[in-house]
Amino acid sequence: MIGALQDSWNSLNGWIFETLVQPALYSLGLMEWAEDAFDWIDFALFGLVQVLVVYAICRPLEAWRPVEPRTDGRSIRTDILYTLLTRLGLLPLLAFVLFASMESRLSGLVASSGWVPPTLETLFPALRDAPLLALAVYIVVLDFGEYWHHRFQHRFDWWWALHSIHHAQRQMTFWTDDRNHILDDMLGAVWFGGLALLIGVPPGQFPLVVVVLRVAEAFSHANIRLSFGRVGERLLVSPRFHRLHHSRFGSARLGKNYAVLLPVWDWIFGTADFRRDLFPATGDRRLPEELASGGWLRQQWAGLRQLGLALVRRA
Amino acid sequence: MRVPLLLAPLLAPLALGLGLLAGSLPARAAGLVYVLNSGEATIQVLDADSQAEKSRIRVLREVHHLALTPDGKTLLVGDSGANEMLFINPGTGELLKREPLSNPYHMGFSPDGRFLVITSLRRDQVDVYNWDGKALTLATRFDLPDMPSHLAYSPDGKVVYVTLQGNGLVVAISLETMQPLWKTEVGPEPAGIIWQDGKLLVGVMGSDHVAVLNPETQAVERRITVGRGAHALFPSPKGDVLYVTSRVDSRITLLDPRSLDIVRVLDVPGGPDCISFDPQGRLWVTLRWKGRIALVDPQKGVLETRRVGRSPHGILYSAAAPAEPLTN
Repeated sequence: MIGALQDSWNSLNGWIFETLVQPALYSLGLMEWAEDAFDWIDFALFGLVQVLVVYAICRPLEAWRPVEPRTDGRSIRTDILYTLLTRLGLLPLLAFVLFASMESRLSGLVASSGWVPPTLETLFPALRDAPLLALAVYIVVLDFGEYWHHRFQHRFDWWWALHSIHHAQRQMTFWTDDRNHILDDMLGAVWFGGLALLIGVPPGQFPLVVVVLRVAEAFSHANIRLSFGRVGERLLVSPRFHRLHHSRFGSARLGKNYAVLLPVWDWIFGTADFRRDLFPATGDRRLPEELASGGWLRQQWAGLRQLGLALVRRA
Repeated sequence: MRVPLLLAPLLAPLALGLGLLAGSLPARAAGLVYVLNSGEATIQVLDADSQAEKSRIRVLREVHHLALTPDGKTLLVGDSGANEMLFINPGTGELLKREPLSNPYHMGFSPDGRFLVITSLRRDQVDVYNWDGKALTLATRFDLPDMPSHLAYSPDGKVVYVTLQGNGLVVAISLETMQPLWKTEVGPEPAGIIWQDGKLLVGVMGSDHVAVLNPETQAVERRITVGRGAHALFPSPKGDVLYVTSRVDSRITLLDPRSLDIVRVLDVPGGPDCISFDPQGRLWVTLRWKGRIALVDPQKGVLETRRVGRSPHGILYSAAAPAEPLTN
């Protein structure tokens, strides 16, 4: 069964590559990137599956137990556009092109030094024969990285200028997860991808790690009146836990509940708020209106303007 | 997967071009087939007779190419992303050891068996290792942008030639002085390279041909059109045919090794990449874009495929006692 599914997946991936992508690469004189493009198609297909999985899980739950009614269809549609741009591979592709050449230069320098970089499995040999455990370790390490990435998005004014687009949404749904400025996404990709390279996440496991973290992120943004209970709230980020981060209790510099998957990081670093009875309104009202209700392009432009102002103020 | 009879009409145009027709399997083949699944970090060991999987060696990152040691007793497989070399008993599939080694991509032993040259596609470097029959020690490292891909030796083993995929060059390196000798342009994105009768044959992947390069003059003397995405070249064990894979047009072109004229074209869907031969003269071919390998018998007219792992790349048929050094 799994073999047949894998075969179908490979066939679809191969068909798209051979029919659409490889001829284009050949025509453009880019055949040296053929193998990377093949991997990217896999990533984009995975992105599509992620969107479908998240929709299948979250949409019925949002219909069943919403925190608030869906009244602002326009801003939800904008969030859907963000999701499609992000998850179907456009931004990951940009990040990959950036990384591929950077990584080549860096690893060349490292090799010239005579040092062979270790991987997590060479440092901890027990992981070599336990791929599921290794995957779990990668997820925990990357989730820790994402916690600090998120802290810094709120800590630095210039970064908050970009990230505030994400916090302006007053009609938060599971689509809101990808509502980010394109520069913010690229910084995030550098952060996440850089850490993944540093600890040596296997290429085959990388999409799985991304899927786990992204499904968790989308779920945590969902408009669902759902708490995981006293213990569960401390084990996994729930829609309630993250909703508080998007409210007046958790937004901007003195934020709370930054974690993506594991609330333990907020617990350790003193930024957790486990009040289970709170399902506050979302959206930082201090932010410009265009960040909340503008279309994709308008929000992107406003974010750039905010970034410029933040940098000028800093200078 | 045997080609179903229902699909025969659809495949007839393929078969006509190649003379391949769906039919019964040929005779038994003793031995093991190693398939390097570059996209899912495994090496599959298949029984060549039944094609059943005998074992699976888990690797850390990406395995692409392999080489048998000159005595044929050890199979080296490079795990490029993990910076590891795996040492395997080719007769049994037993993993003997792993050693840290910087980014091994394509590799091959020199004809005299003294050197193992390894290209690093990602790292833009070419490493020359000394081989004493037991261990590898780094002799020299060359910074050679852009994207060093495949390699070939002169028959006397004094020079190694490397294709540079990123800038369309072939570079010659002296193994006597350990210095680069020359570089010359051959065409966009050159990949596979072999020595043939005093000439270098280069698969020009960004184009549709094999470039015939004279190493004396460093001039491309001829271009043989084989199909878009010309990739790698493999002489048959008897030396009577050269097989060229083309990954865009998905075909294998058979060349006469003396005249270099095309004698036959085999359409092999799925992006044929590397080839290994069994004693019956059959071709074991990795199909990069389909997660499959093909078993092609040009004599009996049989093409069948089998599911393996994602993005299979290097492949080796290993009999009980491999005869001579080879790379894939």
